[in-house]
Amino acid sequence: MLHSLRPAASMALRAKPAASSLVRIAPRAIAAAPISTSSRKDAASALTPQGTSVLPRREVPLPSQEGTKSVVQYALTTLDVIVNWARQSSLWPMTFGLACCAVEMMHLSTPRYDQDRLGIIFRASPRQSDVMIVAGTLTNKMAPALRQVYDQMPEPRWVISMGSCANGGGYYHYSYSVVRGCDRIVPVDVYVPGCPPTSEALMYGIFQLQRKMRNTKITRMWYRK
Amino acid sequence: MSTITRTLSNLRKIGLKNYIIQMVYIGDTKAGRLVGEDRAGNKYFENNEELPLRTRWVEYKKHDYDAAQIEPGWHAWMSYGVDKSPTEDPLLRTGGNKWDLPKATPNFTATSGNYITYNTTKPKLTSWEPKAVERQ
Repeated sequence: MLHSLRPAASMALRAKPAASSLVRIAPRAIAAAPISTSSRKDAASALTPQGTSVLPRREVPLPSQEGTKSVVQYALTTLDVIVNWARQSSLWPMTFGLACCAVEMMHLSTPRYDQDRLGIIFRASPRQSDVMIVAGTLTNKMAPALRQVYDQMPEPRWVISMGSCANGGGYYHYSYSVVRGCDRIVPVDVYVPGCPPTSEALMYGIFQLQRKMRNTKITRMWYRK
Repeated sequence: MSTITRTLSNLRKIGLKNYIIQMVYIGDTKAGRLVGEDRAGNKYFENNEELPLRTRWVEYKKHDYDAAQIEPGWHAWMSYGVDKSPTEDPLLRTGGNKWDLPKATPNFTATSGNYITYNTTKPKLTSWEPKAVERQ
Protein backbone atom coordinates (compact mmCIF):
# COMPACT_ATOMS: atom_id res chain seq x y z
CA MET A 1 0.00 0.00 0.00
CA LEU A 2 2.77 2.40 0.85
CA HIS A 3 4.46 1.81 -2.47
CA SER A 4 1.42 3.01 -4.31
CA LEU A 5 1.21 6.03 -2.05
CA ARG A 6 4.79 7.13 -2.42
CA PRO A 7 4.77 8.45 -5.98
CA ALA A 8 1.51 10.25 -5.34
CA ALA A 9 2.82 11.86 -2.18
CA SER A 10 6.03 12.99 -3.82
CA MET A 11 4.03 14.31 -6.71
CA ALA A 12 1.84 16.25 -4.33
CA LEU A 13 4.88 17.96 -2.86
CA ARG A 14 6.17 18.90 -6.26
CA ALA A 15 5.59 22.25 -7.83
CA LYS A 16 2.78 23.36 -10.10
CA PRO A 17 4.23 22.20 -13.43
CA ALA A 18 3.49 18.64 -12.35
CA ALA A 19 -0.15 19.44 -11.71
CA SER A 20 -1.29 17.59 -14.81
CA SER A 21 0.22 14.35 -13.57
CA LEU A 22 -1.12 14.99 -10.07
CA VAL A 23 -4.64 14.93 -11.38
CA ARG A 24 -4.04 11.58 -12.91
CA ILE A 25 -2.57 9.94 -9.84
CA ALA A 26 -4.52 11.63 -7.07
CA PRO A 27 -7.71 9.50 -7.27
CA ARG A 28 -5.72 6.33 -6.81
CA ALA A 29 -3.97 7.77 -3.79
CA ILE A 30 -7.25 8.76 -2.16
CA ALA A 31 -8.69 5.33 -2.75
CA ALA A 32 -5.63 3.68 -1.28
CA ALA A 33 -5.39 5.88 1.79
CA PRO A 34 -8.30 4.52 3.89
CA ILE A 35 -7.35 0.92 3.19
CA SER A 36 -3.86 1.42 4.53
CA THR A 37 -4.97 3.25 7.66
CA SER A 38 -8.23 1.67 8.71
CA SER A 39 -7.09 -1.91 9.08
CA ARG A 40 -5.93 -1.38 12.64
CA LYS A 41 -8.01 1.54 13.78
CA ASP A 42 -11.71 1.89 14.32
CA ALA A 43 -13.55 1.57 11.05
CA ALA A 44 -15.92 4.46 11.73
CA SER A 45 -13.21 7.02 12.39
CA ALA A 46 -11.49 6.10 9.17
CA LEU A 47 -14.62 6.38 7.08
CA THR A 48 -16.12 9.60 8.38
CA PRO A 49 -13.54 11.94 6.85
CA GLN A 50 -14.43 10.48 3.47
CA GLY A 51 -18.07 11.32 4.05
CA THR A 52 -19.34 7.73 4.10
CA SER A 53 -22.39 7.21 6.30
CA VAL A 54 -21.99 4.92 9.33
CA LEU A 55 -24.94 2.69 10.15
CA PRO A 56 -26.24 2.89 13.74
CA ARG A 57 -25.32 -0.03 15.96
CA ARG A 58 -28.05 -2.68 16.12
CA GLU A 59 -28.08 -5.52 18.64
CA VAL A 60 -29.01 -8.84 17.01
CA PRO A 61 -29.43 -11.92 19.23
CA LEU A 62 -27.09 -14.78 18.49
CA PRO A 63 -28.66 -18.10 17.46
CA SER A 64 -27.60 -19.38 20.87
CA GLN A 65 -29.47 -16.57 22.63
CA GLU A 66 -32.80 -17.02 20.85
CA GLY A 67 -35.59 -18.57 22.85
CA THR A 68 -37.89 -21.44 21.96
CA LYS A 69 -41.05 -20.28 20.21
CA SER A 70 -43.30 -22.78 18.45
CA VAL A 71 -44.44 -26.34 19.17
CA VAL A 72 -42.15 -27.71 16.46
CA GLN A 73 -39.20 -25.99 18.07
CA TYR A 74 -40.02 -27.51 21.44
CA ALA A 75 -40.21 -30.96 19.85
CA LEU A 76 -36.93 -30.43 18.04
CA THR A 77 -35.35 -29.20 21.27
CA THR A 78 -36.11 -32.57 22.85
CA LEU A 79 -34.63 -34.29 19.82
CA ASP A 80 -31.54 -32.14 20.09
CA VAL A 81 -31.18 -32.94 23.77
CA ILE A 82 -31.16 -36.66 23.00
CA VAL A 83 -28.62 -36.32 20.21
CA ASN A 84 -26.42 -34.05 22.28
CA TRP A 85 -26.62 -36.38 25.25
CA ALA A 86 -25.39 -39.20 23.04
CA ARG A 87 -22.62 -37.06 21.67
CA GLN A 88 -21.32 -35.68 24.93
CA SER A 89 -21.44 -38.93 26.87
CA SER A 90 -19.22 -40.87 24.51
CA LEU A 91 -16.51 -38.52 23.42
CA TRP A 92 -13.76 -40.36 21.63
CA PRO A 93 -10.68 -38.21 21.25
CA MET A 94 -8.09 -38.59 18.56
CA THR A 95 -4.88 -38.09 20.46
CA PHE A 96 -2.49 -35.77 18.78
CA GLY A 97 0.17 -35.73 21.45
CA LEU A 98 3.07 -33.69 20.16
CA ALA A 99 5.02 -32.58 23.23
CA CYS A 100 4.95 -32.40 27.02
CA CYS A 101 1.23 -31.54 27.03
CA ALA A 102 0.65 -35.11 25.94
CA VAL A 103 1.95 -36.31 29.30
CA GLU A 104 -0.78 -34.32 31.02
CA MET A 105 -3.26 -35.72 28.53
CA MET A 106 -2.11 -39.21 29.50
CA HIS A 107 -2.65 -38.31 33.15
CA LEU A 108 -6.25 -37.61 32.28
CA SER A 109 -6.69 -41.24 31.29
CA THR A 110 -5.04 -42.61 34.42
CA PRO A 111 -7.07 -43.52 37.52
CA ARG A 112 -6.71 -40.21 39.31
CA TYR A 113 -8.82 -38.28 36.80
CA ASP A 114 -10.23 -41.35 35.09
CA GLN A 115 -11.66 -40.16 31.82
CA ASP A 116 -13.32 -43.53 31.23
CA ARG A 117 -16.06 -42.64 33.69
CA LEU A 118 -16.99 -39.78 31.32
CA GLY A 119 -17.11 -42.13 28.35
CA ILE A 120 -13.88 -40.77 26.92
CA ILE A 121 -11.78 -43.41 25.26
CA PHE A 122 -8.69 -42.57 23.24
CA ARG A 123 -8.89 -43.85 19.72
CA ALA A 124 -5.78 -44.23 17.63
CA SER A 125 -7.79 -43.96 14.42
CA PRO A 126 -9.08 -40.61 13.19
CA ARG A 127 -11.94 -42.29 11.34
CA GLN A 128 -13.54 -43.44 14.57
CA SER A 129 -12.99 -40.36 16.72
CA ASP A 130 -15.08 -37.28 17.44
CA VAL A 131 -12.65 -34.81 18.94
CA MET A 132 -9.00 -34.14 18.33
CA ILE A 133 -6.88 -32.97 21.25
CA VAL A 134 -3.89 -31.12 19.83
CA ALA A 135 -1.46 -31.39 22.72
CA GLY A 136 1.84 -29.68 22.21
CA THR A 137 3.93 -27.69 19.80
CA LEU A 138 2.74 -27.91 16.21
CA THR A 139 5.73 -27.60 13.92
CA ASN A 140 5.64 -26.68 10.27
CA LYS A 141 6.66 -30.19 9.39
CA MET A 142 3.81 -31.70 11.38
CA ALA A 143 1.14 -29.31 10.12
CA PRO A 144 0.20 -31.19 6.91
CA ALA A 145 -0.12 -34.39 8.92
CA LEU A 146 -2.39 -32.62 11.42
CA ARG A 147 -4.59 -31.32 8.65
CA GLN A 148 -4.75 -34.72 7.00
CA VAL A 149 -5.76 -36.38 10.25
CA TYR A 150 -8.40 -33.73 10.78
CA ASP A 151 -9.75 -34.26 7.28
CA GLN A 152 -10.00 -37.99 7.91
CA MET A 153 -12.23 -37.48 10.94
CA PRO A 154 -15.96 -37.90 10.29
CA GLU A 155 -18.48 -35.16 11.01
CA PRO A 156 -19.33 -33.95 13.60
CA ARG A 157 -15.82 -33.26 14.78
CA TRP A 158 -14.33 -30.95 17.36
CA VAL A 159 -10.84 -29.78 18.16
CA ILE A 160 -9.39 -28.97 21.56
CA SER A 161 -6.21 -26.94 21.44
CA MET A 162 -4.21 -27.78 24.52
CA GLY A 163 -1.39 -25.66 25.85
CA SER A 164 0.26 -22.40 24.92
CA CYS A 165 2.13 -23.84 21.96
CA ALA A 166 -1.00 -25.17 20.29
CA ASN A 167 -2.97 -22.05 21.16
CA GLY A 168 -0.63 -19.49 19.69
CA GLY A 169 2.89 -20.80 19.36
CA GLY A 170 3.61 -20.09 22.99
CA TYR A 171 7.28 -20.28 23.88
CA TYR A 172 8.18 -21.05 20.25
CA HIS A 173 6.13 -18.25 18.75
CA TYR A 174 9.18 -16.65 17.16
CA SER A 175 10.77 -19.88 16.04
CA TYR A 176 11.40 -20.45 12.37
CA SER A 177 9.84 -23.89 12.35
CA VAL A 178 6.73 -23.65 14.49
CA VAL A 179 3.15 -22.91 13.48
CA ARG A 180 1.88 -19.95 15.50
CA GLY A 181 -1.19 -21.69 16.80
CA CYS A 182 -2.94 -24.76 15.49
CA ASP A 183 -5.99 -22.64 14.66
CA ARG A 184 -4.07 -21.65 11.54
CA ILE A 185 -4.42 -25.24 10.36
CA VAL A 186 -7.71 -26.50 11.83
CA PRO A 187 -10.77 -24.77 13.34
CA VAL A 188 -10.53 -24.92 17.13
CA ASP A 189 -13.48 -25.22 19.52
CA VAL A 190 -11.84 -25.01 22.93
CA TYR A 191 -8.53 -23.46 23.89
CA VAL A 192 -6.97 -24.75 27.08
CA PRO A 193 -4.37 -22.31 28.40
CA GLY A 194 -1.29 -23.32 30.33
CA CYS A 195 2.25 -24.51 29.78
CA PRO A 196 1.46 -27.34 30.15
CA PRO A 197 -2.13 -27.23 31.40
CA THR A 198 -2.86 -29.54 34.29
CA SER A 199 -5.01 -32.55 33.68
CA GLU A 200 -7.72 -30.78 35.62
CA ALA A 201 -7.51 -27.87 33.19
CA LEU A 202 -7.84 -30.21 30.23
CA MET A 203 -10.76 -31.90 31.92
CA TYR A 204 -12.38 -28.52 32.42
CA GLY A 205 -11.81 -27.84 28.73
CA ILE A 206 -13.57 -31.11 27.92
CA PHE A 207 -16.42 -30.04 30.17
CA GLN A 208 -16.62 -26.79 28.26
CA LEU A 209 -16.78 -28.73 25.01
CA GLN A 210 -19.56 -30.88 26.45
CA ARG A 211 -21.33 -27.70 27.46
CA LYS A 212 -20.96 -26.45 23.90
CA MET A 213 -22.41 -29.71 22.60
CA ARG A 214 -25.33 -29.42 25.02
CA ASN A 215 -26.16 -26.00 23.62
CA THR A 216 -25.77 -26.99 19.96
CA LYS A 217 -28.99 -26.64 18.01
CA ILE A 218 -28.74 -29.38 15.41
CA THR A 219 -32.25 -30.00 14.15
CA ARG A 220 -33.45 -26.56 15.20
CA MET A 221 -30.98 -24.88 12.89
CA TRP A 222 -32.02 -27.25 10.13
CA TYR A 223 -35.66 -26.30 10.79
CA ARG A 224 -34.83 -22.63 10.74
CA LYS A 225 -33.48 -22.97 7.22
CA MET B 1 -17.27 -48.95 41.59
CA SER B 2 -20.84 -49.21 40.60
CA THR B 3 -22.46 -52.52 41.41
CA ILE B 4 -26.13 -53.37 41.36
CA THR B 5 -26.26 -53.72 45.14
CA ARG B 6 -24.56 -50.34 45.62
CA THR B 7 -26.90 -48.64 43.16
CA LEU B 8 -29.95 -50.20 44.82
CA SER B 9 -28.86 -49.33 48.33
CA ASN B 10 -28.09 -45.75 47.32
CA LEU B 11 -31.41 -45.57 45.48
CA ARG B 12 -33.17 -46.66 48.68
CA LYS B 13 -31.37 -43.92 50.60
CA ILE B 14 -31.91 -40.99 48.23
CA GLY B 15 -35.26 -41.78 46.62
CA LEU B 16 -36.36 -42.04 43.01
CA LYS B 17 -36.44 -38.31 42.25
CA ASN B 18 -32.86 -37.73 43.34
CA TYR B 19 -31.84 -40.89 41.51
CA ILE B 20 -33.12 -39.48 38.20
CA ILE B 21 -31.52 -36.09 38.85
CA GLN B 22 -28.18 -37.71 39.64
CA MET B 23 -28.31 -39.93 36.57
CA VAL B 24 -28.87 -36.87 34.40
CA TYR B 25 -26.14 -34.71 35.92
CA ILE B 26 -23.60 -37.03 37.52
CA GLY B 27 -24.26 -40.32 35.75
CA ASP B 28 -23.93 -42.25 39.00
CA THR B 29 -26.00 -42.94 42.08
CA LYS B 30 -24.46 -41.45 45.18
CA ALA B 31 -25.68 -41.11 48.73
CA GLY B 32 -23.91 -39.02 51.31
CA ARG B 33 -24.00 -36.42 54.02
CA LEU B 34 -25.08 -32.92 52.99
CA VAL B 35 -22.09 -30.85 54.08
CA GLY B 36 -23.36 -27.46 53.12
CA GLU B 37 -24.71 -25.09 50.57
CA ASP B 38 -23.05 -22.03 49.08
CA ARG B 39 -24.58 -18.65 48.31
CA ALA B 40 -25.58 -19.70 44.79
CA GLY B 41 -27.48 -22.71 46.12
CA ASN B 42 -25.09 -25.46 45.03
CA LYS B 43 -25.23 -28.39 47.43
CA TYR B 44 -22.09 -30.19 48.55
CA PHE B 45 -22.01 -33.79 49.72
CA GLU B 46 -19.50 -36.09 51.29
CA ASN B 47 -19.33 -39.81 51.78
CA ASN B 48 -16.01 -41.22 52.89
CA GLU B 49 -17.09 -44.79 52.15
CA GLU B 50 -16.66 -44.09 48.44
CA LEU B 51 -13.47 -44.67 46.48
CA PRO B 52 -10.68 -42.13 47.00
CA LEU B 53 -11.19 -38.86 45.05
CA ARG B 54 -14.87 -39.63 44.61
CA THR B 55 -15.86 -38.87 48.18
CA ARG B 56 -16.91 -35.24 47.67
CA TRP B 57 -19.31 -34.03 45.04
CA VAL B 58 -21.61 -31.16 44.19
CA GLU B 59 -25.18 -30.83 43.02
CA TYR B 60 -25.43 -27.69 40.96
CA LYS B 61 -28.31 -25.31 41.32
CA LYS B 62 -28.45 -24.33 37.66
CA HIS B 63 -29.26 -26.60 34.76
CA ASP B 64 -26.47 -25.07 32.66
CA TYR B 65 -23.91 -26.03 35.23
CA ASP B 66 -20.24 -25.22 35.18
CA ALA B 67 -17.41 -25.75 37.64
CA ALA B 68 -16.80 -21.99 37.68
CA GLN B 69 -20.03 -21.56 39.62
CA ILE B 70 -18.39 -23.15 42.68
CA GLU B 71 -17.19 -20.61 45.23
CA PRO B 72 -13.48 -20.43 46.07
CA GLY B 73 -13.64 -21.95 49.54
CA TRP B 74 -15.84 -24.77 48.38
CA HIS B 75 -13.55 -25.30 45.40
CA ALA B 76 -10.64 -25.80 47.78
CA TRP B 77 -12.68 -28.31 49.72
CA MET B 78 -13.90 -30.08 46.57
CA SER B 79 -10.33 -30.41 45.25
CA TYR B 80 -9.18 -31.92 48.57
CA GLY B 81 -7.05 -28.85 49.28
CA VAL B 82 -8.47 -28.49 52.80
CA ASP B 83 -9.94 -30.90 55.33
CA LYS B 84 -12.59 -28.63 56.80
CA SER B 85 -15.44 -27.43 54.65
CA PRO B 86 -16.49 -23.74 54.64
CA THR B 87 -19.37 -24.60 56.97
CA GLU B 88 -16.83 -25.64 59.62
CA ASP B 89 -14.12 -23.13 58.73
CA PRO B 90 -15.28 -19.49 58.64
CA LEU B 91 -12.04 -18.39 56.95
CA LEU B 92 -13.02 -20.25 53.77
CA ARG B 93 -16.46 -18.71 53.66
CA THR B 94 -17.17 -16.01 51.08
CA GLY B 95 -19.68 -13.25 51.62
CA GLY B 96 -18.64 -12.01 55.03
CA ASN B 97 -16.15 -9.43 53.83
CA LYS B 98 -16.87 -6.23 52.00
CA TRP B 99 -14.37 -7.05 49.23
CA ASP B 100 -16.10 -10.31 48.40
CA LEU B 101 -17.79 -10.47 45.03
CA PRO B 102 -21.57 -10.81 45.16
CA LYS B 103 -21.37 -14.15 43.33
CA ALA B 104 -18.80 -16.46 41.86
CA THR B 105 -17.54 -15.23 38.49
CA PRO B 106 -19.02 -17.49 35.82
CA ASN B 107 -17.21 -18.64 32.71
CA PHE B 108 -18.07 -16.20 29.95
CA THR B 109 -16.98 -18.51 27.14
CA ALA B 110 -19.41 -18.51 24.19
CA THR B 111 -21.40 -15.60 25.59
CA SER B 112 -21.33 -11.94 24.67
CA GLY B 113 -19.12 -11.30 27.70
CA ASN B 114 -16.23 -13.45 26.52
CA TYR B 115 -12.68 -12.24 26.22
CA ILE B 116 -11.69 -10.61 22.96
CA THR B 117 -8.06 -10.01 22.22
CA TYR B 118 -6.93 -6.48 21.64
CA ASN B 119 -3.74 -4.75 20.72
CA THR B 120 -2.15 -1.92 22.64
CA THR B 121 1.06 -1.58 20.66
CA LYS B 122 1.66 1.14 18.15
CA PRO B 123 0.79 0.03 14.61
CA LYS B 124 3.82 -0.60 12.43
CA LEU B 125 2.30 1.10 9.40
CA THR B 126 1.00 4.63 9.76
CA SER B 127 -0.39 6.85 7.08
CA TRP B 128 1.13 10.14 6.17
CA GLU B 129 -1.09 12.82 4.79
CA PRO B 130 0.94 15.23 2.72
CA LYS B 131 0.15 18.88 3.18
CA ALA B 132 1.57 20.79 0.29
CA VAL B 133 2.12 24.48 0.96
CA GLU B 134 1.23 26.60 -1.98
CA ARG B 135 4.30 28.18 -3.51
CA GLN B 136 4.41 31.91 -3.08
